Amino acid sequence: MSGLPVVVGVGLTAFAANRVDCTVRDLALEAALACMHDAGLMDLKAVQHGLTSYESDHFNRQMTLGALLHDHLGLTPLPNVRVEGGGATGALALRTAWAYVQSGLCDSILVYGAELNGRSVSTQTANQLFALSADFDWEMMVGGTYTAFYAAMMRAHMQRYGTTEAQCAHVAVRNRKNAQHNPLAQKPMDLTIEEVLNSRAVAEPYKLLDCSLLSDGAAALLLATEDWARAHSPVFARRPVVYFAATGCGSDTMRLGDRYPDITNFRGKRAAAQQAYAQLGISDPLAQIDVAELYDSYSGVEIQAVEDLGFVAAGEGGAAVASGLFDLGGRLPVNPSGGLLGRGAPVGATGIAQAIEIVQQLWGTVHPARQAANARRGLTDTHAGIGTLCVVNIFERRD
Amino acid sequence: MAEVTAKRDILTAASPHAETPDIWADFRQIEVLTLELRQRYEHSLGKYSRFFIELENGRFLGTRCARCQRVYAPPRPLCPACLAVTTWQELAGTGTLITYAVQHFGSGANDDVNRLATPYVLAYVLLDGASTLFPHILRAAPENVRIGMRVRVAYSSGPVQHPLHLMYFVAQG
Repeated sequence: MSGLPVVVGVGLTAFAANRVDCTVRDLALEAALACMHDAGLMDLKAVQHGLTSYESDHFNRQMTLGALLHDHLGLTPLPNVRVEGGGATGALALRTAWAYVQSGLCDSILVYGAELNGRSVSTQTANQLFALSADFDWEMMVGGTYTAFYAAMMRAHMQRYGTTEAQCAHVAVRNRKNAQHNPLAQKPMDLTIEEVLNSRAVAEPYKLLDCSLLSDGAAALLLATEDWARAHSPVFARRPVVYFAATGCGSDTMRLGDRYPDITNFRGKRAAAQQAYAQLGISDPLAQIDVAELYDSYSGVEIQAVEDLGFVAAGEGGAAVASGLFDLGGRLPVNPSGGLLGRGAPVGATGIAQAIEIVQQLWGTVHPARQAANARRGLTDTHAGIGTLCVVNIFERRD
Repeated sequence: MAEVTAKRDILTAASPHAETPDIWADFRQIEVLTLELRQRYEHSLGKYSRFFIELENGRFLGTRCARCQRVYAPPRPLCPACLAVTTWQELAGTGTLITYAVQHFGSGANDDVNRLATPYVLAYVLLDGASTLFPHILRAAPENVRIGMRVRVAYSSGPVQHPLHLMYFVAQG
């Protein structure tokens, strides 16, 4: 028996541009309830710890959301901790839970994340609120947006490696197509490369259909020691055991310009991946990972990610993506859930939702049309800013 | 009759799930309010202030680390590589465009940004003598912008709302 934490249950809400039927606490409650049902547990008090995952006080119009959600989930007087890591919040939350369980601080921990990033504010206001997570004095005040920072990074990648807008468009098409097999996805679409290329410019080289979604939604995952899971979850023995097997974390400067001359890719992501791979002795990730959920905040970001995660060499991501290597049925299916482009991205829930897709891929319980073949080991890649904080988590089915 | 002054809508929300039965069926009547929160800040520019003050004099300052000789633009009071306190260093304001984005939507960050006609170019410039890229607006038609082109800092006498907009980039020559 391994000392690694196991996944006991998972729960996800539908992601939507406007979950008008829910406050943020309603969303968290839906996800937590779904998670407890999935684990076959009816008493939340059986859990030993809570962990609240959310990014933005501004979007949610509520500070200390950890206390509020913990209360409404009926988790008081259990201990709770709130984790924030920008776009990587959900993945950092899981990484934190991994450490809490491994350290013996608790034997079980309910990780729940929720965010209202959808239509509660205008796109203009959303841009401003997100820009607050850039460098306020130097990047926000000059008139930059995150789309522009990513676009400048992608233009440098194109300049250095010859990556094309059509290769980026392949990601936008594929991930939204994958979302068609995910009933909880926000924006399943059947697009052509040309439709992506012809969509209106936002921050060139990125166009509207290269951009991920603003979403309302929540996700929850119950992590525990294997002993706790066997003792408390009546369904645990009935499905394959999935371990949260490894986690890595890396960082980089806030501003792109401070990374010069290394401005084409995510250095923090390389560091995070190397840490996680070292924990499992992974030397050839393309061959040793069966399915992955990557942080496709913009289409080209997935191209940069497959390079930084070591699936292909630097500069080869564009051609590899366009060859179908990462499509469903390809060598290593990427973003079968639809990713941030197709499923959606309520920030505090995103990294947890990525993990849920991987866990269900390993259990073999996703819609057959998006099931990766022989999935034994899956990876999630999540980052904040423009790769300012990067988290790579790896899950393994062992039976 | 009771009166609510906030703009509001009352509607019946459909279940986002196709599940039957809808366990939330009793909670589908929804009221939506339009609320506004406004904040006003006294925002100190702290140890970075001299950069902004000297822009009023048409001077562009970075900071230099005496230990590693790196020159930071934007300035950093502390060199993160050496943990040494830096000193102000004037730069000529000429440089090379390294990468850029063409923004078709403004960020709405301040009045100066709102005055920019879209599309505008967010440029990352390696200023001569600097070690890092400085992000700012390049006033040029997007079709005339090329990576590697020579640019320089131009100064504005205002009026501007934010002192960062006392400068911008233009093509050299």
